[in-house]
Amino acid sequence: MENFIAFDLVSPETLIFSDEVGLIIVPGEDGDIGVLPGHSKVISSLRPGRVLVYGKDKNLLKSFFVSGGFVEINPNKCIVLGEEVFVISDLNKDNLKKQLDNIEKDKSEKKLEEHNKINLMIKAIDAEYYLKI
Amino acid sequence: MPSLKDLKIQINSVGSTKKITSAMKMVAASKLRRSQEKAEASRPYSSRLEEMLFSLSKSSLSGEGVIKLLTGSGKKENYLIIPVTADRGLCGGFNSSINRDTAKYIRQLEKDGKSVKLITIGKKSRDFFNRIMKDKIEESFFDLGSKGVNYDIALKISDKIQNLFFENKFDVCILIYNKFISAITQEVAHQQIIPLEFKENKKDLSQESKDISIYTYEPDEESILKNLLPKNVSIQIFKILLESNAGEQGARMAAMDNATRNAGEMIDNLTLKYNRTRQAFITKELIEIISGAESV
Repeated sequence: MENFIAFDLVSPETLIFSDEVGLIIVPGEDGDIGVLPGHSKVISSLRPGRVLVYGKDKNLLKSFFVSGGFVEINPNKCIVLGEEVFVISDLNKDNLKKQLDNIEKDKSEKKLEEHNKINLMIKAIDAEYYLKI
Repeated sequence: MPSLKDLKIQINSVGSTKKITSAMKMVAASKLRRSQEKAEASRPYSSRLEEMLFSLSKSSLSGEGVIKLLTGSGKKENYLIIPVTADRGLCGGFNSSINRDTAKYIRQLEKDGKSVKLITIGKKSRDFFNRIMKDKIEESFFDLGSKGVNYDIALKISDKIQNLFFENKFDVCILIYNKFISAITQEVAHQQIIPLEFKENKKDLSQESKDISIYTYEPDEESILKNLLPKNVSIQIFKILLESNAGEQGARMAAMDNATRNAGEMIDNLTLKYNRTRQAFITKELIEIISGAESV
């Protein structure tokens, strides 16, 4: 069998990532899903979290943060439809913390969602940091 | 006969108008390219979403809540019409054709005894419907074009629509927008987004349905559908906004191209007139001199 799987990451605005990769880990609604070449067919919704993309020799290529969305998995192709997609290395913890402070003043329900999202983003940056050492 | 000075002023003013229109044409052309690229970039997402949705819609779920976005509320009494226009004019018949078509459609619906509400998108439709049917407007969205369309705006609009829908304010939602056919042609199109309609051709679908039946759904079909349906509304709106934006730039480009050409023609005519008048003056003066000399 092939040792790679085609992977597309799209946001509503644009195609963010498209390449052949070795392994993808996506944050499925019921738990993380590791997608290797030849995975069975699955459609799942996503919870906010990290999408990790590994190369053919299982080295970490890129990591993204998605705020939700869907994944469609086929044996030779995996497509993630992200709601909002960020490249984790582009995120800045200090800026996010500032945003968090701003939101904290407002306690409406909508803001609560936003609050959770940013908190998760900060966690994702931390996790990324530990992954590297 | 106008004096030479008047003609000169007229020629100059037409000349500066021409400069403006040709500059606007250039700007519209580059914006058109950009919005076309954007529309292109959003296509993979919306087509995937539609495929997923189609396969799920066949599992024939019925129920309350979000599923209603797919099945409708069972009535067809109250309509929500959303005309999508631009914020700015100077783009030929782009805005007026939408406004005209919408007004006509509303009158038709009212004749059939339906009640109609409006959400306007773009300043031009807001202004138009504020004048003629202010009481029907639920909300107006504008200022979409200045920084280019982004998904957040589509999300805001779709939130508003869904709130209204779940408050049972309407049964059917139709967007009226300019469909982008080519850089110089747009066509007024109606798209119904609630309840959902599928437009794909049948051959593709039967192929698709065989493939799709073996998917595992996680957590399950119903909860995915519940996520997917509201998202689909915002994606459809986003797609339409992008298309309308590209159409606007195309229409503006064509309109400005025409205006530039007209200004050029006008300048030619005026220059001819200017030269003729000048010659007439010279001739007149010569005749005066000669006849003066003769009489001496």
